[in-house]
Amino acid sequence: MSLLAANNLSLSFGGVHAVEDVSFSVNKGEVFSIIGPNGAGKTTLFNLISRIYDASTGSIRFNEQDISQVPTHRIAELGIARTFQNTELFEQETVLRNLLIGQHVHRRTNLLQEFLFLPSVRQQELRFRKDVEDVIDLLDLQHYRHQVIANLPYGVRKMVEVARALCLKPRLLLLDEPSSGLNPEETEDLSFQIEDINEELGTTIIMVEHDMNLVSRTSTRVMALADGKLIAVGSPVEIQQHPEVLKAYLGE
Amino acid sequence: MRFIKKTHYNQDIQLFKHQGQLFWYGALGVALLLSPLVLSDFYLGELSLVFIYAIAGIGLMLLTGYTGLVSLGHAAFLAIGAYTHAYLLAQGWPFPVSILCATLLSSLVGAIIGIPALRMTGIYLAVATLAFAIIVEQVLSHWVSVTGGFRGMAVELPSIGSFSLDDSVTFYFLCLFILTGCLFLALNLLRTSTGRAMTAIRDSEISAQSMGIHLAYTKTLAFGISAGFTGLAGSLLAHKIGYLAPDSFTLLISIQLLLMVVVGGLGSLHGVIYGALFIGLLPQGLALLRDTLPPALAQIPGLEPGIFGLILVLVLIYEPQGIYGRWLKIRSYFEEFPLYRKATHKRQRSYLRTERLK
Amino acid sequence: MQFALARGFHFLEVLQLLVSGISQGCVYGLIALGFVLIYKATEMVNFAQGDLMMLGAFFAYSYINIFELPFYLAFPATILTMAIIGALTERLLLRPMIGEPHFSVLMLTIGLGFILRAVAGAIWGNEPRSLSTPYAGGVIDLNGLIIGYENMVIILGTAALCLLLYLFFRFTRLGLAMQAASQNQLAAFYVGIPVKRVYSMVWAISASISAVAGILVAPVSLIDPLMGFVGIKAFAAAIVGGFGSLPGAIVGGLIIGIVEQFAGLYLPPGFSDVSAYVILLAMLLIRPQGIFASMQRKKV
Ligand SMILES: Nc1ncnc2c1ncn2[C@@H]1O[C@H](COP(=O)(O)OP(=O)(O)O)[C@@H](O)[C@H]1O
Ligand SMILES: [Mg+2]
Repeated sequence: MSLLAANNLSLSFGGVHAVEDVSFSVNKGEVFSIIGPNGAGKTTLFNLISRIYDASTGSIRFNEQDISQVPTHRIAELGIARTFQNTELFEQETVLRNLLIGQHVHRRTNLLQEFLFLPSVRQQELRFRKDVEDVIDLLDLQHYRHQVIANLPYGVRKMVEVARALCLKPRLLLLDEPSSGLNPEETEDLSFQIEDINEELGTTIIMVEHDMNLVSRTSTRVMALADGKLIAVGSPVEIQQHPEVLKAYLGE
Repeated sequence: MRFIKKTHYNQDIQLFKHQGQLFWYGALGVALLLSPLVLSDFYLGELSLVFIYAIAGIGLMLLTGYTGLVSLGHAAFLAIGAYTHAYLLAQGWPFPVSILCATLLSSLVGAIIGIPALRMTGIYLAVATLAFAIIVEQVLSHWVSVTGGFRGMAVELPSIGSFSLDDSVTFYFLCLFILTGCLFLALNLLRTSTGRAMTAIRDSEISAQSMGIHLAYTKTLAFGISAGFTGLAGSLLAHKIGYLAPDSFTLLISIQLLLMVVVGGLGSLHGVIYGALFIGLLPQGLALLRDTLPPALAQIPGLEPGIFGLILVLVLIYEPQGIYGRWLKIRSYFEEFPLYRKATHKRQRSYLRTERLK
Repeated sequence: MQFALARGFHFLEVLQLLVSGISQGCVYGLIALGFVLIYKATEMVNFAQGDLMMLGAFFAYSYINIFELPFYLAFPATILTMAIIGALTERLLLRPMIGEPHFSVLMLTIGLGFILRAVAGAIWGNEPRSLSTPYAGGVIDLNGLIIGYENMVIILGTAALCLLLYLFFRFTRLGLAMQAASQNQLAAFYVGIPVKRVYSMVWAISASISAVAGILVAPVSLIDPLMGFVGIKAFAAAIVGGFGSLPGAIVGGLIIGIVEQFAGLYLPPGFSDVSAYVILLAMLLIRPQGIFASMQRKKV
């Protein structure tokens, strides 16, 4: 059953067709990878799904609902969380507070209650904290809990961003190049964590990734893009042998 | 160094993280409660002024230090609070109702001026608030029937029923009480979702949005809350200065408020208090300085703002974390004594972080 | 330069206002140009731009009225002085701030403005001074439309300066390097453009432009330490024009200059003073990117 379906999406910047007439659908429970050379339009596709950009044509359906007109901040409530290619964390805050911000969509209290810190607010804070600790355990971030993001190494920041996205308890998780900047060992860990997230939490994942090893190990299906256009969709093995894909990577 | 054994998540939520903190803040509280016994009226008055600055500073700190929105026009909210309160008192409204209405009106105006601010960041917002403050100053000068125009208006003495709040001890306690209340509200806000949403916006709008934070709503809210605190401070200030005129609320005051949060230390409520002490005591310091300077220099009319400017520049270059940041460094130096490394507090620069598309 | 004209909508009166507005607007435009240049190249906002103009005017005053240099020598001397002050400011105050948040830089330049005003007060005193120029006092009478030489010089001087800047950015190596640096600091650095030196140059140029503005406006508005406050209006102009656009700065300046003149005559007192800010707020509501949009969203 499809969780996300994109139909004929297009977006151009000035003369650049960043995404051109792309259609695909992702099933519930899948790990769906997107590959393609730099500038292929992968990040732009993520920005379209998370409604940071408006598509010039085409539509996106999530969970049987058309989300093409939904305001950006509502996307998280619907259950889509994402990470960013170059990490966009709350730099001056601790890891803990970053993750708590990830809980924002689960807020049930109002401003007045918060000003007075009523018992309901305290209950909610404790609940948030417990959920955050679960995510911290899942991604092994215990040591960094009280550290400020700006002081953390890049690999850890990448994982904090994944953790923050998980705090939303998303149905769909978008990971933009999660392994870039990680060392081989960290990448290895990442592949297990992706499996955990997918299997234990039942989260559907769309991942932009260059590391074909990681892609093959984790993905159910792969989509290849080049110059904004869809070239092929298929199993990791099919895609790796697909002549059009090879051509896109190697040039003419 | 203090290591705290944590047994419950509640401990990270508490206002006082450990017994030591509770003790020191308690001691400070007692000292403040007892100070009317030892301090003269003059110093009580000065302290009340510091409290008033601090209340306004909480407002500006929430906006600038925590939400990352710069206002160059907060004197306008101070003015709106002061004038509304004075006007309502003159109409015979009781003190508590009037002060509440003044706060709410400032807050409302703040939220409204926040609206054009939603679509802009940084510099646009700074200039928009500046423009707003200049317009308010003109309105105060020309709306004679309400504000008395350039002549200004007298402020009635504060009293609740027949109980006068006017003598310096009562007024001192009034300001202290309101400041404590404001600190409590602000601290609560900052340890819950709304406060976190504000800091999220400060650090990254794009990712705040992706976390489900409604930018426009949260920014408007931040503006409203900030203006509310500042307006409240304004209505107390009205009593402190006793007579309102448009030139009590100029650009220089807005800049002073900013100076307060910057010098105190952006992004901390401790910083507000330090900053308020600094701003409150600065005139005394300057008066002393004037006495020691050769008359030719001491007579320069722009001297005071000039020194403001100088302090601002020096703080920004040498101690961007302000007095509070400096204090943290000194403290950790002693706590970690032989082990202290200079790089512990090395500040992170955001090289090449740009808000515009390259 | 105000003439007591009968109220009503006379064609001549409108023309007269237009000329005053344009000449005032040119001054706003020039200061705005200084803002925009610095912003484009360094992403820093210099709130002290108006005060640099004030300083320029005072230096011109010193050279002409105190040292009695002839105007044609005092003019380049003032520009050179200001260029040096601009470069020094960048080197001593702004360079340490590279990498700090924009807000800090903004506050720093606000502080700088206060310092400059106090320093000017200390050196030159607070009474208004007037600058003697070779073209003082003359007027041209065009069929009843009366234009003072001072205003003519402001308008022509601004036009000439704009042309000069256009040629500079279009055709000189330094100008092109500056453009490159303003488009992409990192890339400019990699292709061997000395980005830091370019920054100093930008500040020097920007301060020189303010100096020109100061010299042009001094004969019509007197010189005192607070004259730099028009910088705030110039700021409004820069935003109305579209922050980051050089032609936008001039156009924004002209719009504000002209509207102010008309508001002064046709609206109740007080409106002329705030009209610049009302336009600004209205613009931010309707078209926040300004007339010549040049800002875009951050890319993630
Ligand atoms: N905000 C933007 N403005 C202009 N061009 C953009 C923007 N975002 C992406 N592009 C362009 O769209 C194309 C696709 O970019 P992107 O989606 O980032 O590629 P990638 O597949 O490497 O993630 C590139 O040519 C890029 O320059
Ligand atoms: Mg990408």
